[in-house]
Amino acid sequence: MSGALSPPVIAAVLGAGAAGAVLRYLLSRAFPVRPGHLPGGILIVNVIGSGVAGALIGLAERAALDGDLRLVLVTGFCGGLTTFSTWSVETVELATGGRWRAAVLNVAVTLVLGLGAAAAAYLAFR
Amino acid sequence: MPSPAPTLLAVAVGGMAGTGLRLAFDLAFPHGDAEFPIETLLVNLVGTFALGWLAGGLWTRPTTPTWLKAGLGPGLIGSFTTLSAVMASLLVLTREGEAWLGALYLLVSVAGGLLLAALGLKLGSRLAHRPMPHEVGDAGSTL
Repeated sequence: MSGALSPPVIAAVLGAGAAGAVLRYLLSRAFPVRPGHLPGGILIVNVIGSGVAGALIGLAERAALDGDLRLVLVTGFCGGLTTFSTWSVETVELATGGRWRAAVLNVAVTLVLGLGAAAAAYLAFR
Repeated sequence: MPSPAPTLLAVAVGGMAGTGLRLAFDLAFPHGDAEFPIETLLVNLVGTFALGWLAGGLWTRPTTPTWLKAGLGPGLIGSFTTLSAVMASLLVLTREGEAWLGALYLLVSVAGGLLLAALGLKLGSRLAHRPMPHEVGDAGSTL
């Protein structure tokens, strides 16, 4: 990630990040958290965003994706769509509420499905 | 329940700012494909501590407006931090033959994130003189 970024590219990255954030917010509202269950909306956006990022990195590897477009889609959209902070804070909230099983599952399922989606998409698209 | 327009606008504006801040970190700490992605680790740890702090403090005040929580939480901090970049770095590090460095990176990210989330929640709720939140906020958006 080096070289000068033109203002239109920066604007596109920020716009894509805003779109990802709004999509994440709407999905998290569409799948409300039930006590003791995994926060489903955040799990879904994190797995989808990781899968899309894997596919884009695969495409970029065989030069099928322009560098600026990669920045807009991977850093902007996928970065805005997925979140690390909400995932971590919600996991700790589950644990402090005594729901240890749900807390451990939230970490394990997110990592397994997120990494699985990213790796599968990368291998399919490279 | 549909989200009102000011709330969605706050998420969009916060999302733009958070993405811009993360981009600035990316540009400030450039690294090669086979190197430890320190910028994403910094972004994720700082953001997670901040969100824990807010969830323990400001969020627990009944007077805090929803649009402000949505703009700062899911908007600004949610899009500042990222899981997809962590996964992307794991793929790239593995491709470059640095799978063990990737495993270390993942371990430090996850363990550090949980630790800083707990620390943020504890400090935030102590300063606000409120009990630690132990229910995940409504709708999974840590509101």
